[in-house]
Formats: sequence, C-alpha cells, structure tokens
Amino acid sequence: MPVVDLDGVSKSYSGKEAVRGLSLSIERGAIFGLLGPNGAGKTSTIRMMVGMTLPDSGTVRLFDQPFRREHLRRVGYLPEERGLYKRMKVIDQLVFLGELHGLNAKTARSRSREWCERLEIADAMEKKTQELSKGMQQKIQFIATLLHDPELIIMDEPSSGLDPVNVSLLEQILLELRNRGRTILFSTHRMDQVEKLCDAICLVDQGAAVLEGTMRAVKSRYARNRVVIEYAGDASFLTHHAITDLREFPGRAEFKLRDGVDPQALLREAAGMAQVYKFELAEPSLEEIFIRTVGGRANA
Amino acid sequence: MRDVLLIARREYLERVRSRSFLMMTLLFPLMIGLLIGGSIFASKVSSGTKNIAVGSNDAVLAHAVAAELNGEGKQATPEVVAPASDADRAALNQRVENRTLDGYLWLEQKSDGDKPEATYISRSAGDMFSLGGMGSAVDRGLERQQLARHGVPAAEIAAMPRHAEIQTMQIREGRLVPSNTLKSFFGAYAMMFLIYFTVVFYGMNVARSVVEEKTSRIFEVLLATTQPQSLMAGKLLGVGAAGLTQMAIWCLLVAGIVTATAGTMLGAEGMGAYGIHAQQLFFLLAYFLLGFFFYSAIAAGLGASVSSEHEIQQFSMVIVAPLTIGMVLITYIISNPTALPVVLLSLFPPCAPIVMFLRMSSQMPPVWQIALSMALMVLFIWGAIWVASRIYRVGILMYGKRATLPEILRWMRYS
Repeated sequence: MPVVDLDGVSKSYSGKEAVRGLSLSIERGAIFGLLGPNGAGKTSTIRMMVGMTLPDSGTVRLFDQPFRREHLRRVGYLPEERGLYKRMKVIDQLVFLGELHGLNAKTARSRSREWCERLEIADAMEKKTQELSKGMQQKIQFIATLLHDPELIIMDEPSSGLDPVNVSLLEQILLELRNRGRTILFSTHRMDQVEKLCDAICLVDQGAAVLEGTMRAVKSRYARNRVVIEYAGDASFLTHHAITDLREFPGRAEFKLRDGVDPQALLREAAGMAQVYKFELAEPSLEEIFIRTVGGRANA
Repeated sequence: MRDVLLIARREYLERVRSRSFLMMTLLFPLMIGLLIGGSIFASKVSSGTKNIAVGSNDAVLAHAVAAELNGEGKQATPEVVAPASDADRAALNQRVENRTLDGYLWLEQKSDGDKPEATYISRSAGDMFSLGGMGSAVDRGLERQQLARHGVPAAEIAAMPRHAEIQTMQIREGRLVPSNTLKSFFGAYAMMFLIYFTVVFYGMNVARSVVEEKTSRIFEVLLATTQPQSLMAGKLLGVGAAGLTQMAIWCLLVAGIVTATAGTMLGAEGMGAYGIHAQQLFFLLAYFLLGFFFYSAIAAGLGASVSSEHEIQQFSMVIVAPLTIGMVLITYIISNPTALPVVLLSLFPPCAPIVMFLRMSSQMPPVWQIALSMALMVLFIWGAIWVASRIYRVGILMYGKRATLPEILRWMRYS
C-alpha cells in the first residue's frame, strides 16, 4: 500500500507549468529521494502533497486515501526555507508546534526535552530562537517535524546548513525512523546522501518525472562504463582512443569507456604495458546519472 | 477550533509578554496625563490674576467698564485712571514697561457721543486671554454709561441680570432628560478617537505580524498543519484580546485615578454627564470588536500581499480612510443623526463602527438600523476573512514578490 501516490498531477502558476502530469508512488517504510535541478518543480510537488496548494489536474492520495487535511496530523513537514518565531523560547515553540499537530502540552513538552537531549541542544531550550546559531535552529526545526511521531516525513533539503557531524547524526536518525516503519521523502541536491540512504528515487526536470524507480533499477538502466584502475609502470595505455573523461592520480586513474568498447580488450592492453593491481568496472554514480539526464539545465 | 485557540493564545502571550506592550501600557496613560496636566497648567498660568488699569477721558465710562471687568473675575479690581490726560497715558505706558502693570485699557470718548475708541496696551503682542472678555465688558460698560446718562439709578443698573443660562434637554425613550450638547460632543469625540486609535493600532499590528511570519517563513510550517482561515482567525483573536487587555488596564487606571482624585467611581452614571450611558458602553465594545475584526482582516490581507513592514506604512492610511469619514463629518453627524446620508454611512460596514456610534451619542437610532448595521458588518467580516485567507495562502508563498492588484485578483482565483 503506497503511503504517497501522485497520479498525473499538474500545477501552473500564471500560465507557467510548474508540474506536468507527474506520477509517483512511495511505499511504506521507504526512504524516497525527490531529485531535480533548481526550478524543476520539487517544492511545488511537495506543497501539493501537504495540501498547501491543490493540483490543477490529477490526484494526490495519502495513506491510500484521497488527500484530506486530517492526514496532515500524520505528516511531518520540514520546508526548504526554515521558519521559526524569532522571539519565542525554543521549548515554548516546540510545545506550540506539537500542540498544533494534535499532541497535548505535557506530551509535547516531554518529547521536546527528549529530542533536544538526543540532538545535544538541551542547553538551548530556554533560549529565544534569535539567540541561536543557524545550525541549532535547523535542529529545532527538525525536532518540530518529528515531535508528533509522524508516519510520513517530508523534508525539503534537510541537511542544508548542517556541518558534517550533524549531517551524519541526521542520516542516522532518518535510518532509525525508516527501520521503525516510518516513510521518508526528501528532496536534496546531495547525491552522495541519496545514494547512501534512498531506497527509491524520482528525478524531475521541467515539472515532469524523467527517471523513477528503486535505486538498483535506476542504476541498472545505465551501462557499467566507468573504470577505476590501479597500476605500476608504463601508463601509455591511458592514451587509448576508447578512453574519455580521464582523471589521473599517482598509480591510479578513473575514466569512462566509449560506447561499444570491450573493457576486457582494454584490460589486456593495460596488463601488457603495466602491472595492474585493480581493474574495476563501476556503475555510474547518481551524480553522473543526474548530470547525464538533466544535462546543462542542472545548475544545482 | 482548537487550532484557532492555540494560535490565539500564542499571539496573545507573545504580545502581552513583550517589553513594548509593557512600555505602551504604562507610557500611553503617562503621556496623556502629561498632556492634560500640561494644558491645565498652561491655562492656569494664562488665566492667572492680571493687574490691569482702565484709563479714559470719560470717568463714568471708565468706572462702568472697570466694574464689568471686575465681574469677569480674571483680574484684580482694575485701577481706574480717569479723567486721564496724555501725561497719565504716558505714565501708564511707563508702568507697563516697568512691569508694575500687566496692561491697560484705553478708552477715548469722542466729543460727538459716538462709540469710544478702545485700545488695550500690554507687553506681549498677542495677549489673547486678556482680550477674551474685554470686548463684552466694554459693550456692557457702554450700556451702563448710557443708562446712567438716561437717569437710571446706579443700584438698578447694578441689579440688572446678565449671562442667561440655557439648559438643554433631550427626549430619551419618551422621557425628558437633561443633556449637555458640548459634553455629549466631547464624549462622542473621545469614544470615536478610542475606536479609531485601537482599530488603527491593533489592525496594523495584525498586518505587521503577518509580514513578520512571512519573512521568517514559519508560515510554511503552519500552513502544512492548519488552514489559513484558522491561522488568521487565531491571529485576529489573539491580537484583539491583547488590545482589549491593554484597554482594560487603561480603563482601570482611569477609574483608579478618578476614584483617588474625585472620590467617585467612574461608573456609567459619572460618564452620563458626557453623553455616555451604560447602553453605549455596550455598543462601544460591540462596535470596537466588529471594527477591529473588519479592519484586521483587511490588514492581514495587506500583510500577506506586501513583502516588508515599510510597505504596510504606505497602505495603512488608505485602509483606514473610511474611518476618517466619521471624524471629518462629526459635527454634521451629531447635528443630523437621522439624515439619509448619515443613516446610509452608519449602515456601510467600513464606516459603521464610528458613524453609528456617533449617531447613538446624539440620538438613539431605531433598533432595526443597529441590527442591520451589525449584521452587515458580520457579513463583511466573513467576506473579508475569506478574501484575506485566499491572499494569505497564495501571497505568503510569493516570497519577495510585490503584489499588483491584477496579481492579487489572480491569487484569489487560485486554490
């Protein structure tokens, strides 16, 4: 049973089509990546999922039912542009947002405390938001999204503004939530994060889905034409006409093979000239797939 | 409804806990107190006992005018220099210059029996307060002089009545009750100012609050939780309750001060002298709330369609312009409370809070008109909230984009 199901969803603003006939489906307990260059229609799609705007055509279904506002009690949403009441104390803010999501004040307060301790910001609970660093404000926003223990978590660029240590903490929490059966949709530009966390992705460009499926299925559509070689000795085999996009390092090189080239033939040639320690035929990275699919339009 | 109350509570607490609320609550009455105290002090200083003289070539006239000036009670018994020569006048000039005299009235009686030439000489160029009652004193002095010349005994002249007092009465609910036109006017004016001030101040607070949330982007989180109508209704209730709290504190302060100084509680009866009755206090509250919600809903729409507080300032006066109609037409409305244009204005929701209230202070309008004006206001408030919510929902998503009128109309069509 899909937790999110968009069917032929379209949305236009002032005659400009932001989303064009987009369909996607997210299964329960999955981490789903919504990718695309800037202005591709990711945020417009997310805003329709949370009922902030309604689609011009097509349907949005949440929890296997047509969208209703009551569903939002089961959704946690972290928008791309974060917002908090600047002059409000952190704890009061979290309790208020928790209550809006249907919690009673006592539960909201105790859960806020637990989450603040988990994210190492317990000292900031009595401070006003405006006194905190951007990273700390990000964490508070993150807590506000998860406080009511939503079944569906939607996060637009969750790791922006966080340092590597906190990005790692965030990833760990997302994986824990997934393991507890929560469904997570996140939109990001960080392809390494998507490769690490996502079970499935949808790549949108100019409002339409151009690539969709499980991570394995998406990658399997692309030939394994990226080579990583480690060697010692004569490196003149690297001038072979079949090699493109060459990046050379001491004793190591990464390159792509032109279409139709037999990698075994190249390996034989290299082995004849140098001592080859490693010859790996790797699948394309998600970043490569992204760039190859959306081409020059991606300015992410 | 739970969301509305949660949002209202947050808005209310944020306001009443703020330093600016505390400052405003304490400083505003202090400022008003200083203004009133200052004007009382100024009038006391200006109306203090004056040491003046009356000089004339006609002794009867000089004494008659001096007696009248004495009756004005604003100065010490004027010194009379009569019949006076040019040398006496030069001496009076010298005394004014030496500050032993505040001023003197010089009456030059012509030999042909015409009205005398009157000149007031003092150190300050515009001694307005001294001139106030001087003209009528000279007129009455002339009358005394004429009567004396026609043989009327001095005792009879002194016993002549003066200053006829006109009492005003008003028919209220079939009964004749005393009224005081001037006090009613000031009472209505004070009430109108109160409505205008609170509606403008708190209405604009709502607009500022929307812009603040729009720029801080908290709205996107809130809109994914609750409906824009609930957000707006909560905001209006919270800010309105903060406004009422402030007004209640001020009323209690005024009541306390009056109790302490006059020894009487400022109840409905005490205010009755100012044309303000218990019934009107009820309508004051009712029209304040209706006016507040009406203008706040519009202000929220304004806040949602602009991108900075600076822009709110530009539009705020346009929005409250209908309220100023009541202020401009106050004399006409109080004098003609049943005239058709006044009745129509009192039913027109943007003007109703002030115009209907002004009508009430002059003459109680028919119940159906009050009911109709309130019903129309409720209808308009509902409409304004509906329109503002639409602008709100779409407008806040158009971050940093300035709204034009055609664009706002387009937003209203979006769902």
